[in-house]
Amino acid sequence: MTRLNTNQWLALVLALVAGGYLAMAWQIPTFPLPRPIDSDLFPKVLGFTLLLLAVCLFFETPSAAGAEEAEEEPATSPLFSPWGRVIVTAVAVAAYALLLVPAGFVLASTLLGAGLTAFYGYRRHVINLVTVLGVVLALYLTMTRVMDVYLPTGVLPF
Amino acid sequence: MKTLSLKRLSVLALPLAALSGLGTAAHAQEWTPTRSIEFIAPANPGGGWDTLVRTVSRVLQEENLAEQNFAAINVPGGGGAVAWAQVARDSGNPHKLFATSPPIILVPLAGASRYDHSDFTPVARLITDYSIVLVAADSEYQSINDLFDALKENPRLSIGGGSAPGSMDHIAIAGVAAAAGMDAASVNYVPFSGGGDAMTNLMGGHIEAVVTGAGEAVGQLGEGSQLRALGVSSPERLGGGLEDVPTYQEQGVDYTFDIWRGVMGAPDMPEEAVAYYEELFAEMLETDGWERARDQLGWIDAYQNSEEFGAFLDEQQEQFSGVLRELGLIAQ
Amino acid sequence: MDALNNLMYGFGIALEPINIAYVFAGVFAGTIIGMLPGLGPISALALMIPITFAMEPSSGLILMAGVYYGAIFGGSTSSILLNAPGVAGTVATSFDGYPMAKKGMAGKALAIAAYASFIGGTVSVVFLMLVAPLLSKVAVSFGPPEYFALMVLGLTAVVSLSDKSLVKGLIAAVVGIMISIVGIDLQTGTERYTFGSIQLLDGIDFLVVALGIFALAEVFYMLLRGGGGKEAPRNAIGSLKLSRSEVKEIAGPISRSSVLGFFTGVLPGAGATIGSFLGYSMEKRLAKDGDTFGQGNIKGVAAPESANNAACTGSFVPLLTLGVPGSGTTAVLLGALLVMGVNPGPMMLEQRPDVFWGVIASMYIGNIFLLVLNLPLIPLIAKILDMPKPLLLSLILIFCMIGVYGMSFSVFDLLLLLGFGLLGLGMRLFGFPAAPLILALILGNIMEESMRRALQISGGDWSIFIDKPISLALLVLAVLSLGLPLLKKRRKRAV
Repeated sequence: MTRLNTNQWLALVLALVAGGYLAMAWQIPTFPLPRPIDSDLFPKVLGFTLLLLAVCLFFETPSAAGAEEAEEEPATSPLFSPWGRVIVTAVAVAAYALLLVPAGFVLASTLLGAGLTAFYGYRRHVINLVTVLGVVLALYLTMTRVMDVYLPTGVLPF
Repeated sequence: MKTLSLKRLSVLALPLAALSGLGTAAHAQEWTPTRSIEFIAPANPGGGWDTLVRTVSRVLQEENLAEQNFAAINVPGGGGAVAWAQVARDSGNPHKLFATSPPIILVPLAGASRYDHSDFTPVARLITDYSIVLVAADSEYQSINDLFDALKENPRLSIGGGSAPGSMDHIAIAGVAAAAGMDAASVNYVPFSGGGDAMTNLMGGHIEAVVTGAGEAVGQLGEGSQLRALGVSSPERLGGGLEDVPTYQEQGVDYTFDIWRGVMGAPDMPEEAVAYYEELFAEMLETDGWERARDQLGWIDAYQNSEEFGAFLDEQQEQFSGVLRELGLIAQ
Repeated sequence: MDALNNLMYGFGIALEPINIAYVFAGVFAGTIIGMLPGLGPISALALMIPITFAMEPSSGLILMAGVYYGAIFGGSTSSILLNAPGVAGTVATSFDGYPMAKKGMAGKALAIAAYASFIGGTVSVVFLMLVAPLLSKVAVSFGPPEYFALMVLGLTAVVSLSDKSLVKGLIAAVVGIMISIVGIDLQTGTERYTFGSIQLLDGIDFLVVALGIFALAEVFYMLLRGGGGKEAPRNAIGSLKLSRSEVKEIAGPISRSSVLGFFTGVLPGAGATIGSFLGYSMEKRLAKDGDTFGQGNIKGVAAPESANNAACTGSFVPLLTLGVPGSGTTAVLLGALLVMGVNPGPMMLEQRPDVFWGVIASMYIGNIFLLVLNLPLIPLIAKILDMPKPLLLSLILIFCMIGVYGMSFSVFDLLLLLGFGLLGLGMRLFGFPAAPLILALILGNIMEESMRRALQISGGDWSIFIDKPISLALLVLAVLSLGLPLLKKRRKRAV
């Protein structure tokens, strides 16, 4: 058994996705009124096409660009490694989404913006805070006062 | 100045009443909102619900009718289901209202929402629109019966509408077809992405007829227009640009269909709050500002108070599920 | 010279001081709305209806039209600078605009976008003025089979948009159609791939996907590659000036895409987004250096930018001559006109010539305002890129979040955005092109809907697609455009 190349791994994952997609396509209920093409035909065609393309991908030799890997920088801790930064950012964005309504738009956005800026290594904290707060407030006021779009106020009174 | 001093008096009177523990019943009826009211349009800006919410908020503010601000909030998604789920969680909240119309009955019937009208507190029905059937100006059909006769002969003739099967436009055409003695399910209803889309396709001769809201169609009718109306679902002839359009009943088809819009509140809203809003909306409908807005938007007043509205909604649900059953879209 | 008389009459209205003020206010507000992701022209116009309520109808429409084409004009800015499309119509601009900015040619990209928008906008107003009444016939001649054929033709661009690996490009396109299918199926009311979630019933919003796959993925990618604040600040802006050869190079794409964009806009339902994609892929196929599209080719900015502005003007044809809206934005405009007591439609030219010709004349003025307003602002706006990178990255994140939340008010969509950001990162790392996915996402759903609609009308008879001349012609074009590049490649190899 030879080692699988990147494309072959990708092809296996895509084939699994296509399989799951097709399984769901068969669960789409039939419409009670007669229709030349019901809701399930397109998904089925798409599922099989994806499956077919996965097979093609399996036999395609990966190009150099396809397999490029991140050049690891010597990192002080895993948290500040490139992948660490991506993961922390993703978690922060998810936390922001969940905190937006309870904490309010201004507070949550400022925390996210200023927090991540500092985390990415920007050391001038005053400039950081002032810029982020300025942008967030400007956006907030434009949306709520000028455009009359409601944004969650949260814990702050306005 | 009179109102101001009265208001001040009531501010003083309230804590007094609370202290003395007197007149709970009397004061209960004089409930007033204590903070701004969230008035939800369960859709994106621009649609029917949104227009209603923003117009009502604006008129209330301009006419100085409400003690508190009505804040228009858009909660789009799922044809309303997202907003309904959100309001349903807020049981008893007297500061939460939303705009409503037939989808509050149709979407749950289609199984796309866990909540239906019975989960919420009806506040008031405000306005209504009617359903209208259009054909191309040079079409051979002169009456709604001509169209149905042709349909009986050739069931493939397609009738376009602006919403998915089983929703408003489909129910409207299926209902009148059934009333005219046809099999509702035999109508070849072709859904388009909106009434405008359907009308464009009618002008291009791609379909035979269109069913849509009368308010949406009024701009397309009149002299020199490419479209012509065969009938409207109102009990009496409408005014404005639609006075020449005969009703279905005039043409011997006993059928009416309302596209009503109203206001509902969170589940188990306190009675006093419902009473307050009922009165507020009734008062609003009398103002000049409302009259102007209503006429410009082509709406027709159709006020019902909370109790009447609730009973009306139950009736509507029965009527709709009857048509849907006939179509085979819900189980017998 | 009827048109000339009418135009003079229109200018008489548009040049009233109050209307000049409205044009200016409209295009200014529009530019800003376009730059901010999320606040698209649709919601902006819907929110403006109460303001225009009491206005003279011609003034109201002049103002609102200004916001609309101003937003399309301004939307290119964030596409180019941040890879975060401000409005859907400018997604294609980021394909080459953002690489240009990364190469230190942000100023040139923005300038080209401004010139292209101006020309696209102005050329299409001329068309609108001369042939609008005639074109209304073309607009209605497109029924379901014609739309299906048009979408197929559009989808053939996937081949030219996937440069390295055709298989990967096709996979991206299939995934794009899969995403477009999520939600309630309009043809039957059946739920598809909603996983029981009511949040997905309306489907996945185009901008959530675009912002995730482009902007958010780009932030992730930069974190992965560029490191944090260690990178030296780049000389971001570069010159605004175009050399004579560059002007020559973009003249063709701009004029072709302006015409193509206008006609796409005339078709109800097609609009600026599809127009810009069609313009982009057409130029990519026509260009000798087509394989450098996507790496910062100036033609790749000029084509979609002239096409989307032309399409925006084109979408006024069905609105003003038929009274039917061709897009979400013109639907809101129609509502606003009705509120102001004007019935757009065939009779409008006779009943309210002031509105019709006033708006057309105001568009000439508005486009000049936009150019004059935007050109001097470019160096200022492009300064964003001089910002320390950590700050810039977190501000892009906030922009994306606000964009999505301000549009749907949904926390769920924010999480979806994150998901698409990660998907976009994965696609980049493994060499899947993003453009085919976005293209298929826009076209896939319309293609399926019009195909099923057509078959329902024909009673299941497939010949409806070849019996109709327009549909047949478009399908033949689609086959040709698939065949020709393959032939070209083969010939190249043979040589």
